[in-house]
Amino acid sequence: MRQVLLACLLAASLSAQSNTIGVFTHSDDVGAPPLKGSATFDAATSEYTVTGSGTDIWDRADEFHYLWREMSGNFIVTATTRFVTGGNAHRKASIMLRQSLDTDAPFLHLAIHGDGMPSVQFRSAKGDTVNTLDFPIEGPGVWTLKLQRQGSAVTVWTAKDGAALVERGSTQTTLGNPVMLGLAVASHTRDAVNTVVFSHVSVEPIPAPAAARP
Amino acid sequence: MFRLTPIVQRIALAGLLSVPVFAQGSSGQLGLFTQAADIGHPAIAGSTTFDAARGEYRMTGAGANIWAKDDQFQFAWREVTGDFTMTATLHFLGEGNEHRKAGIMVRQSLDHDAAYGDVVLHGVGMPSLQWRARQGENTNTFDLPVEQPGTFTLKMVRTGVKTYLYVGREGAPVKEIVHTEVSLQGPVLVGLFVCAHDPTKSETVLFSNVTFQPGTPAAAE
Repeated sequence: MRQVLLACLLAASLSAQSNTIGVFTHSDDVGAPPLKGSATFDAATSEYTVTGSGTDIWDRADEFHYLWREMSGNFIVTATTRFVTGGNAHRKASIMLRQSLDTDAPFLHLAIHGDGMPSVQFRSAKGDTVNTLDFPIEGPGVWTLKLQRQGSAVTVWTAKDGAALVERGSTQTTLGNPVMLGLAVASHTRDAVNTVVFSHVSVEPIPAPAAARP
Repeated sequence: MFRLTPIVQRIALAGLLSVPVFAQGSSGQLGLFTQAADIGHPAIAGSTTFDAARGEYRMTGAGANIWAKDDQFQFAWREVTGDFTMTATLHFLGEGNEHRKAGIMVRQSLDHDAAYGDVVLHGVGMPSLQWRARQGENTNTFDLPVEQPGTFTLKMVRTGVKTYLYVGREGAPVKEIVHTEVSLQGPVLVGLFVCAHDPTKSETVLFSNVTFQPGTPAAAE
């Protein structure tokens, strides 16, 4: 009984620190962009509306809005993205794994740019520059992004305008456990915001294989 | 046919790559390339030969891997400054480690931990784009879904810092897959490479239809 009470108290104190936003727990601007971002969840449609600003997620310092939760272990994340504001061709919406809210933290994300270029980008060490893998531009649209982390391997899939997901390939990440997992939005400018609606968002842990029995 | 003599191999292993004696006689003996050598002192010496009649390069390379902060492989290269396109069709001869590697590499220097980018075929039939952004750093990779082993055509396009991977399988036209950014400076070395991914073995790869075109391709930026 005491354990149950303790668990209730713990849950209460956690939710007091962070309002649940759909499957996520926190919503923060990273890198202090001058135009404040926001994230809301519509329980009726199960859609997330994320607004972000900031120079970019690039080089040695990031500015964007991040809707996130903590995760450990292996998992699959899927989200369908729809840009609802115009703007810079390289404004971004992404599924992001990140080590901390520091502007120069290690991260890896599967991003769709406003012009319809999917990319996998990552910063391997704090303060380092960003590496990028840019796929051919297929044009703006409603893009579904899927990212799987399994150990150090990250595999990505994309689909445009309701087509079936296609596996693009995989890379290796230095990110460990726990890791922040969430949706990121950047406008690629400090002068305007970018608003993206994310639908069909799912976060599925991949169960660890059962321990071998002798 | 041209094969590195044992003395040249020993000179290469000693790291005296820039001494004049290493210059490989008259041009054309290595086809499009000016020199060939082992990088990173693999335990087994590699070799590169060019069959002018067939237009084929036969490369044998050993080495533990091209990965992390330390590379071991056989490299046949030429020097280029600026943008270029290189294409090669290749297949592995015999059996070997499923992650044995062959492909096209652009490299800042002959150092074992130099910055580089490559378009690479693994023995298992997995093409990848790999790069080391700065000397002494870890290798980054993007691996395509694994298909069957076979004959692949790889194409690398370099435009400024962008390095593009194109892949074609079993004679199909090459298709643009992905590109990354690698900031190499000034003159760079571009050519073909083979790595056994096993310090106790060497692997042989046949390259054909190898083309090199300096300058910026019309389709790229």
